[in-house]
Amino acid sequence: MNTSVHETSSVKEYFASLANGITTTVKGMWITFRYVWGVKSVSIEYPEVREVLPERARMRLFNDAQNCISCTQCAMACPVDCIYIASEKKPEGSEIKKTSNGQPIRLTLTQFVIDTALCCYCGLCTTVCPTECLTHSHDYEFSQYTIDNMKYDYLAPDVIAWRDRIVKS
Amino acid sequence: MQTRWDVGEPEKPTINKDTEQLKSELLRLNMGPQHPATHGVLRIEIWTDSEIVAHAIPHLGYLHRCMEKHSENLDYRGVIPFVDRLDYLASMNMEWGYAMAIEKMLGTEVPRRAELLRILTAELQRIASHLMAFGTYALDLGAFTPFLYAFEEREKILRLFEEVSGARLLYNYIWIGGLWNDWTDDQIARVSQFCDNMEEEAKKYHDLVSMNKIFVQRTANVGIMSVQDCFDYGATGPILRGAGYKWDLRKNKPYSLYNEFDFDVPVGTGEVGVPGDCWNRYIVRMKEVIESIKIIRQVIEKLEPGSIMGKVPKIIKLPEGEIYSRSECPRGELGFHLVSKADGKTPYRLKVKSPCFTHTSMLPHVAPGQMIADFVATVGSIDIVLGEVDR
Amino acid sequence: MLNELANLINKNVPSAKAVVNVAAEAKADSSITVDASSIHAVAKFLRNNSEMPFNALQCVSGVDYVEWMEVCYMLANFDVNAPHELILKVKLTDRVNPTVDSIVDVYAAANFQEREVYDMFGVTFKNHPDHRRILCPDDWEGFPLRKDYVYPKNYNGMEVFPDNKMNFEDREFIVRQDMIKKAQEASSTKQ
Repeated sequence: MNTSVHETSSVKEYFASLANGITTTVKGMWITFRYVWGVKSVSIEYPEVREVLPERARMRLFNDAQNCISCTQCAMACPVDCIYIASEKKPEGSEIKKTSNGQPIRLTLTQFVIDTALCCYCGLCTTVCPTECLTHSHDYEFSQYTIDNMKYDYLAPDVIAWRDRIVKS
Repeated sequence: MQTRWDVGEPEKPTINKDTEQLKSELLRLNMGPQHPATHGVLRIEIWTDSEIVAHAIPHLGYLHRCMEKHSENLDYRGVIPFVDRLDYLASMNMEWGYAMAIEKMLGTEVPRRAELLRILTAELQRIASHLMAFGTYALDLGAFTPFLYAFEEREKILRLFEEVSGARLLYNYIWIGGLWNDWTDDQIARVSQFCDNMEEEAKKYHDLVSMNKIFVQRTANVGIMSVQDCFDYGATGPILRGAGYKWDLRKNKPYSLYNEFDFDVPVGTGEVGVPGDCWNRYIVRMKEVIESIKIIRQVIEKLEPGSIMGKVPKIIKLPEGEIYSRSECPRGELGFHLVSKADGKTPYRLKVKSPCFTHTSMLPHVAPGQMIADFVATVGSIDIVLGEVDR
Repeated sequence: MLNELANLINKNVPSAKAVVNVAAEAKADSSITVDASSIHAVAKFLRNNSEMPFNALQCVSGVDYVEWMEVCYMLANFDVNAPHELILKVKLTDRVNPTVDSIVDVYAAANFQEREVYDMFGVTFKNHPDHRRILCPDDWEGFPLRKDYVYPKNYNGMEVFPDNKMNFEDREFIVRQDMIKKAQEASSTKQ
């Protein structure tokens, strides 16, 4: 309909077109050719060389369970419902601890699990957290063999042991 | 289940000894869903007569993620990560379009600094998206090197966005009422540095691709979409401008603070080929990059310190009513039709008018009569993103 | 502007019975509702009139209001001098089998858009040249964006949400949240 498949052209036009083709191609090739020596390569050799992540980078979530007041706001804000929290009331008369920014912990956290396979790394849960215990760490290498392993229980002892590695300094 | 409605079943060839009376039939070809030139999972069923396309039938829905259904169960803030995933190459513009719709309904005043920074991010994102369009379009036509150059520049923008918002592609950065984080002076300085660099790079791209004889031969006079076609099919953005019609929401129906800025709306003039062909659509995108740089420079001049978040209630409840808000995203006009019920915490209905969906519907109109290779060029020139088409 | 336009429509297409829906909130958009049977004539008039033309159809959107269905046509005029826009609505009271005339021959843009509305809401468009589903597979049953939609238990012999792939923690979580809420309510009423 709108494709001109065969164009008839005079001899002059033919040679002009040929010259145009050669000059523009050479021009393009020259630009590419300069990259052979003139330009430093931009790719990095990943496992050996790592890019420094920016401070706000949103990688795997980490909950510092000692500061959590079990308010469930993060679970409510989560658009994909990947945070599972359970808590119990503390028995009466027990000592009420305080978080690092002075909020009283009235409930005992019995479960804090994040299904990282579901998480969409939007960061909405970290913004609503009143004690700033739920943060995005800079840990991005956490591939697993089974999907169940993507569920991270932040009350498990091994996670607490990893805390120093995971938490943003 | 309905079958091919348009073409009918191909006629059976009658075998005849006389070769002149041999019947020919249309050949059915599937382009996609894994075709490298379809930019995602678009499947186009093409019926070809030797190498000429007779019919092209797009089959959509391979990337349908039920975003509209999901959003009916999410609070207004929670929809933003989903809106990001519509057009994953221009998430900032998508977020902004959505945030604007909600802000209009809420009557929120967005602080001036936030508006300026939104324009800054949106224009940077536009550059990134057009760079991607440039790179992949050249890739479609068989040139691999421009793709790498474009990605190198795009990476700088993504790096800036990562520092500001925390993510490289799906930012969740533009919030209802303002922005999540503020830009530091250092980052702003890097943006202006990037702009200087980008202008030189754009010249390089022009030398490398725009006037290249092979590129011109592949794109000029191919896949012509006239202005009338564009109106018929509701096409917007670079398609409409490439056809030579000067229409840009930022200029003609300014939203946000766009009326304060001085920039041109590039249109396809037909210096090569005719207005409305693939080359003109391509060159409009490349010229828009320069215009975006102009806007960014002006934003940087106007920036003043201030707050970046307006007053928004903690739990957003919209009044009853509906709104249709439009904004100009790199691929065309993006619209959000939002219906809310009184005191509803979730949208009652959220319809996304995505530009690529409209542009895909033009393909059956443009395709007949084209060579298959030209059809690939046409599909590439509308810069299709399937995340947005299928939603 | 909308009142003038409604009068204009009524004058030229008497069967349209155009009514302006003024939005209760000033921030929301107002719209014009016309009679379902006359939508084709109205669209033709709106596109070709000289006083207030709309040269492009932006999108067609369906809304399910449980009691009735609505099809909204977002029209716009891509003209530098008069860039107006309009939400044109059609109310369909028959919710089981809603039917409306197609406007594909007026605005070609309606082709895919109407197919999407059919796909999501089950609104049948008469005289549509290519009336098929668009986003869902051709053999999908039900119309997903209707408010009373229930997803099928089986699709093509595949079980939807099989137990061995369910995230039971998700379900338990919802139950637990309900329990917490009830406990909180109970404790607040005690006080």
